[in-house]
Amino acid sequence: MISTLLIFPIIACILTLLIKNRKFNTFLVGLYAVVHFVITVLLTLGYGEKSVPYFAVDNTNLIFLIILSLVFLMVAVYNAGYVKNFEFPDKKISHYSFMILVFVLSMTGTLLSTDLGLAWVLVEATTLSSAYLIYFNKTKHSIEAAWKYVFICSIGIALAFVGIILLNISTGAVNSLSFAELYSHAGQFDLNWLKIAFVFMLFGFGAKMGLAPVHFWLPDAHSEAPSPISALLSACLLNSAFLVIVRVFKILDLAGCADYARLMLLVMGFLSLFVTAVFVYHIKNYKRMLAYSSIENMGILAIGTALGGAAFYAVILHLIGHSLAKASFFLTSGNVLELYGTKRIKSVNGLIKADSKTGWLWVTSFLAICAFPTSVLFISEFLMIKQMIIEHKFVLCALFVILLTIILYGLGRVVIKTAFGNVSDDKAKVIADNKHKVNICMYIPQFVMLVIVFVLGVYIPPFLNNIIKLAIGGF
Amino acid sequence: MVNGFIILFGLTMLYLSATSRIVAHIRLLIAQGILLFLICCCGYHHMDLLNFGFLAIETLVFKGIVIPWFLYRVLRKTHSNRDVAANIPHFYCLVISSVILLAGFLVSEYFVSSMKLISPMFFGVSVATIIISLWLITIKHKIISNVIEFITMENGIFLLSLSVAKEMPMLVNMGVLLDVFIAVYILGLFVNVINKEFNDLEVSNLSDLKDYENND
Repeated sequence: MISTLLIFPIIACILTLLIKNRKFNTFLVGLYAVVHFVITVLLTLGYGEKSVPYFAVDNTNLIFLIILSLVFLMVAVYNAGYVKNFEFPDKKISHYSFMILVFVLSMTGTLLSTDLGLAWVLVEATTLSSAYLIYFNKTKHSIEAAWKYVFICSIGIALAFVGIILLNISTGAVNSLSFAELYSHAGQFDLNWLKIAFVFMLFGFGAKMGLAPVHFWLPDAHSEAPSPISALLSACLLNSAFLVIVRVFKILDLAGCADYARLMLLVMGFLSLFVTAVFVYHIKNYKRMLAYSSIENMGILAIGTALGGAAFYAVILHLIGHSLAKASFFLTSGNVLELYGTKRIKSVNGLIKADSKTGWLWVTSFLAICAFPTSVLFISEFLMIKQMIIEHKFVLCALFVILLTIILYGLGRVVIKTAFGNVSDDKAKVIADNKHKVNICMYIPQFVMLVIVFVLGVYIPPFLNNIIKLAIGGF
Repeated sequence: MVNGFIILFGLTMLYLSATSRIVAHIRLLIAQGILLFLICCCGYHHMDLLNFGFLAIETLVFKGIVIPWFLYRVLRKTHSNRDVAANIPHFYCLVISSVILLAGFLVSEYFVSSMKLISPMFFGVSVATIIISLWLITIKHKIISNVIEFITMENGIFLLSLSVAKEMPMLVNMGVLLDVFIAVYILGLFVNVINKEFNDLEVSNLSDLKDYENND
């Protein structure tokens, strides 16, 4: 099962290189999405072998895999409609499909790897494969974004490797980087080296996850990439880096210096919220706004991990909710971009009048991401606040609520301004010209994901609840 | 013997911070590759043959030949010979790098000598190399210089991984090599693209994406 998940895209990649046909290449991406989803469902139901050398499905990464699979399926559906609007030669589309396949393959590999060193290699592979996708439009701005992305993430990841070497020093007699070995011998590690190693790894993988103060690539890359790629970056890539951080956090927890790791995560989490609250207020580009919202949500995940206890449950709910809602938001922003031809907030008005379906998806995605009940994010944030109160962290709780409110205001202002009101005459003409570009494939995925987000807020099916509870064991 | 090579490796970083000709920087990468190979040779007695062969290929072929050759080609295509307008004059660069190197020695001597696993000399020079490279990245103006300093940082990390008496698993080593190689390749391609698009390689060209300005 797992080997199919990893070998299929390699064959598909070779096919995209051999047969450069737009429809066929897009079909291959879609086929991989379906295969990915089917295999994930089978693995969830307990069919097939759970591990191959170096890769395995365990309780912790299963939920991450399900999210990746679902979001990728939705993005592939959207992509099928999106690619129709490309005015590029078939060769370029084949490169685009090739890179999507490699990107998803490396993310899947990161999630499934049972070895810290291998996870590192695959995280770096995600950087390299997504660089082309960010540069896809070949404008000056996309070059800048891609350059910053590759350079900052490569340096971050190189520092994470320093962390791995330091971890190797701290492990003493244990000469292995497999998570299972590290967990079972964590009690004997040298704590000082382990702590230094954690700092390096948190900054390295944190750069990939988009935690402040190492988040600088994120707004540029997310805003310049094509919208399906932005959705994959935000909803899947950040999660894979988060999983590695969670695994490393577990080592520190078992070694008995969890408090230190918690403090670091808490500081970075609140810094992320603070950075978003400061920057989101003056933003001029709606895709950048969504990117900042990703930084905020990654901050919330870090805070939840730092709190521990019941907050772990909240973290996983938040992970699910954020991935689906943000993917939907980014995909809808792709529709807005197709309709208006600009990313400027100033030039977008009266979205609901221009295209009611896109408009309402835009507003609903906003409601989902800002934790409006019954969005599942409401439950997760509520649980985190509850946990802070139980632990008597009243100052943190107040800070958390205030920062979230500022961010909510910043996002809400923009969404209300863009969604409601009237369309100016010159824009109405542009929209009428572009309306044919937005086809049915570009509405359905967002709708499905939003339905899941809002239903999960009221009803979490027992099997999912079970998966989440098992996943908590890995924190 | 091995200590001599390590000190030479540390001195190459001083040379890097004191010169502005990019061709000299690329030659220096070759020198670093060869030095790393010699350092590997000195530690041969506690390695198995397979691992040693792999490390020899990595240092000599990739770090010593392929990457410098590729950068040299990029350099010829982009016609950028010097990184003149560094923020800090070369003399001060040299002083600051020397201080970092000295600090590396002192720190490793005082704090690491208690640990039996690693040699203080390795540790000090590699940490100093990483810090000097990161610092040089922040002050250089040409993006090709940034790529060169990225590679010296990777060399520093490689030296650090040699300093661990235990070996990294072969798979990890191979993955790291592959990733670094592709990263350098992609960065090199981007250098070409940036040169075509902006007509020069100044870092300041790449500062257009901001939060407070309208970018489409």
